[in-house]
Amino acid sequence: MTDLRPILYVQGWLLLAVAATMALPALADGAVGYPDWKVFAAAAAFTLFFAVAALVAFRQQSVRLNVRQGFVLTSVSWSVTSAFAALPFVFADLDLSYADAFFEAVSGLTTTGSTVIVGLDAAPRGILLWRGLLQALGGLGIIVMAILVLPFLRVGGMQLFHAESSDRSEKVMPRLTSMIGSIALGYGVLNLLSAIAFAAAGMDLFDAAIHAMTSLATGGFSTKDASIGFYQSPAIEWVATISMLLGGLPLVIYVRLARREFAAVAGDRQVRTMLIFLVVTIAVITVWLMATKGYEFERAVRAVALSVVSVVTTTGFVTEDYGAWGEFALAAFLVLMFVGGCTGSTSGGIKIFRFQIAWLRFRVQLRRLTQPHTIVPMVYQGRTIPEDVPGSVTHFCLTYVACTLAITLGLALTGLDFIAALSGAATAIGNVGPGLGPLIGPAGNFASVPDAAKWILSFAMLLGRLEIFTLLVLFSPHTWRG
Amino acid sequence: MTDFRPVLYVQGWLLIVLAGAMGIPAALESLEGNPDWRVFLAAAAFTLFFAVALLAAFREHRVRLDIRQGFLLTGTAWLVTSAFAALPFAFSGLSLNYPDAFFEAVAGITTTGATVLQGLDRMPDGILLWRAILQWLGGMGIIVMAILLLPFLRIGGTQLFHTESERPEKVMPRLEQTVLAIFAVYIGLTIACAVLYRLFGMAGFDAVVHAMTTLATGGFANYDTSFGYFQSFALEGTAILFMIASSLPYVLLVRGIRGDIGTVFHESQVRAFLGLIVVAVVAMTWWLTAALDHPFDQALRLAMFNVTSIATTTGYATADYNQWGAFAVLVFFLLMFVGGCLGSTSGGIKIFRLQIFLIRLRSQLRRLLQPHRVAPMTFNGKPIPEDVPIAVMTFILLFFVTVLLLALVLSAYGLDFITSVSGAAAALGNIGPGLGPIIGPAGHFGSLPDGAKWFLALGMLLGRLELFTLLILLTPGLWRSA
Repeated sequence: MTDLRPILYVQGWLLLAVAATMALPALADGAVGYPDWKVFAAAAAFTLFFAVAALVAFRQQSVRLNVRQGFVLTSVSWSVTSAFAALPFVFADLDLSYADAFFEAVSGLTTTGSTVIVGLDAAPRGILLWRGLLQALGGLGIIVMAILVLPFLRVGGMQLFHAESSDRSEKVMPRLTSMIGSIALGYGVLNLLSAIAFAAAGMDLFDAAIHAMTSLATGGFSTKDASIGFYQSPAIEWVATISMLLGGLPLVIYVRLARREFAAVAGDRQVRTMLIFLVVTIAVITVWLMATKGYEFERAVRAVALSVVSVVTTTGFVTEDYGAWGEFALAAFLVLMFVGGCTGSTSGGIKIFRFQIAWLRFRVQLRRLTQPHTIVPMVYQGRTIPEDVPGSVTHFCLTYVACTLAITLGLALTGLDFIAALSGAATAIGNVGPGLGPLIGPAGNFASVPDAAKWILSFAMLLGRLEIFTLLVLFSPHTWRG
Repeated sequence: MTDFRPVLYVQGWLLIVLAGAMGIPAALESLEGNPDWRVFLAAAAFTLFFAVALLAAFREHRVRLDIRQGFLLTGTAWLVTSAFAALPFAFSGLSLNYPDAFFEAVAGITTTGATVLQGLDRMPDGILLWRAILQWLGGMGIIVMAILLLPFLRIGGTQLFHTESERPEKVMPRLEQTVLAIFAVYIGLTIACAVLYRLFGMAGFDAVVHAMTTLATGGFANYDTSFGYFQSFALEGTAILFMIASSLPYVLLVRGIRGDIGTVFHESQVRAFLGLIVVAVVAMTWWLTAALDHPFDQALRLAMFNVTSIATTTGYATADYNQWGAFAVLVFFLLMFVGGCLGSTSGGIKIFRLQIFLIRLRSQLRRLLQPHRVAPMTFNGKPIPEDVPIAVMTFILLFFVTVLLLALVLSAYGLDFITSVSGAAAALGNIGPGLGPIIGPAGHFGSLPDGAKWFLALGMLLGRLELFTLLILLTPGLWRSA
């Protein structure tokens, strides 16, 4: 039997952080004399109780986790933290069921950005702030997980990013810890800059702060039902596009830029491929929109750039209903939901580096067909790819698609139509946000989806965020055996 | 530079066979006193001219192909043969343009069964017979290709079925015997099927045509309402039996007919395929009774026939299953990807590849927990060669990517979402009908834009040639000298 104590102990610390964060919206509501502060105080007290109980009951001198415990901790922490983060939504005056509240909390922490709340424009500030904070925290959690946990768990080819694997582990840990410190600092600075840019473009300070948090977390929660489209401001739209793009790039590159390691940044293949892909996609859809819908150039580029960057970085901000841009655009956006940003960023999806590895592997396979005995070394970023990586990556991509299809089937059973089921599954597992079609598309939301579908979608969001295998492993009997 | 001569020489022989086959509908038409016999005669003469030219110009005493020539032959043989097989459609009084005729011919030879023709009920018998002959010959070609070529070309993990240990000189005569035995079984089953169809009430001509398209898992029918025209449970049962038989590996059928029934049902592919059909039929029957209030016996009958038809990539229909709700439509959509066993006439990804994926998934989950454990993967009780899993996964991934790209292209022609996606899947999987009102089981492909037809024809060939065989023709490596 796996020892769960260290896991629950760490979970205690995480809940402590959640309880402390709940104090912020309590303060925000209390400051303006809005009675909702009690909601957050109650949720914080409740969470604090469990946090302290876990810390006291499972106290550890020093936390040492083996691989199994690593998997269990990663999965459990996201699920349990979401369960507690849902409390303010349940207690607040929003008429949300627990299924709704859990969906909203998972959507926040996994930085998906799908929402069940209608009437955001009139929602209390505490709730809006809580949604923003959830995504900011989730974003930070994702980066920490991608650097500290996933490479060691060897999930889906992530061992490629096993930082300096030749080093002894005693030396790696302090370096990683300081790395995370600088990344957290960089993330904070980016948030500040983005908030200033949003404010300068004409948002009020509260909205600017929230949108900065949700764009850099590639989350996509907004304070308005119409999302970024509410502001009708080209300046704000461009700020949003750039913020999302910055959120979709690996955070390490900002640390490198601050350290003036420009060559390393310019040589990053993942970043370069993602930028080229975005430019080409935006160009194609812009031309399509101008040719078929008679958009003028400036409006087309602005709308397409925001929508494409929003979906590819898995943010989910919306200005126009791209579901109404014609059949080609509809199919294109469905495909884009699978792409995702760079590894080491806050974005979801399959992620650029996996496509690069799969492409390298495809070329090798093609070559081996005519020259069966050639040995083609596979090189990525100037380094030979470890032997087990291409297999892990292609297997990851396939499992991703298989899970999407299985979830689609589940959603169809709850009564969703074909496009809502397929795009809902893709958007949830890719942590994007809006789906396609009239129900859950960019112009809709998830409020009217049946409760059963909300549970399935919540599971899908966690599955995608945990890079599939981290969660799937929990269903393997070997995890629980001694 | 690769030597084209043997490739063109073999192509000449294939065209001779084709020209000879055109003689059959010509004879039928002239017997019935229909002036269309001239169409077939003209097409036969035209084809014969090129065939003889090729044979005379590239005469070889002994055909020996290296691996590059093997790829070239497989790729060009299907393409060129389709181009000539389209001639009777183009010359006939059906007012088809060449894209239509080519589409119909490719849908025939690849045993897809998608049709651009409407008003089949009043179609001249010669054309109906020609469609059936194309599928029947195509089916034969597929089995030969799967046994003789694919394992040696190592396409998408098919080397799993390659008896590596034996020396090629010893294998060849035995393979010739195998192929002859398989032809005998294929012909025998076709005759048996036709006899049963006739016994259960079909007219003689219908029985022959449908037997041919059943055994080819092609699905061309003589009526616009497909198999629904007959409204006979006995006929549907016969069709189910023979569709399934033709989706099993023919090598095993030979053994089964020689009395070794045990091996047939002991094979892992066969069990998985039959298991999948049972599960899908049960799920569909449940859905039809629970959600659509069909009586149980009617639901079971509809589910059995239509599920088997799609799973075996045949494409007959007895109902418009578009009307069965989102869940049913999705199940059919997913079944389109599966396909039958390798070495049968069916298309799709093929069941053994999905099995390898699942085997790999189990071993991957295990390895994540115990990184240093070596867990040997086995298939059919034998260890899987090291290079097979990744080749299989790259293949499946490429299949999905090709479906998505094809769907994108179709949507750019203005086709709606479900038509594009299901049309792409149905073409690549060599199924036949797609989903939705236009190309669904109640529709046909006639109204599609010409461009879309070319791309769908390309999709059918890509699927039939297991993607890589055609893609490799595009790589410069193939054309350079060894």
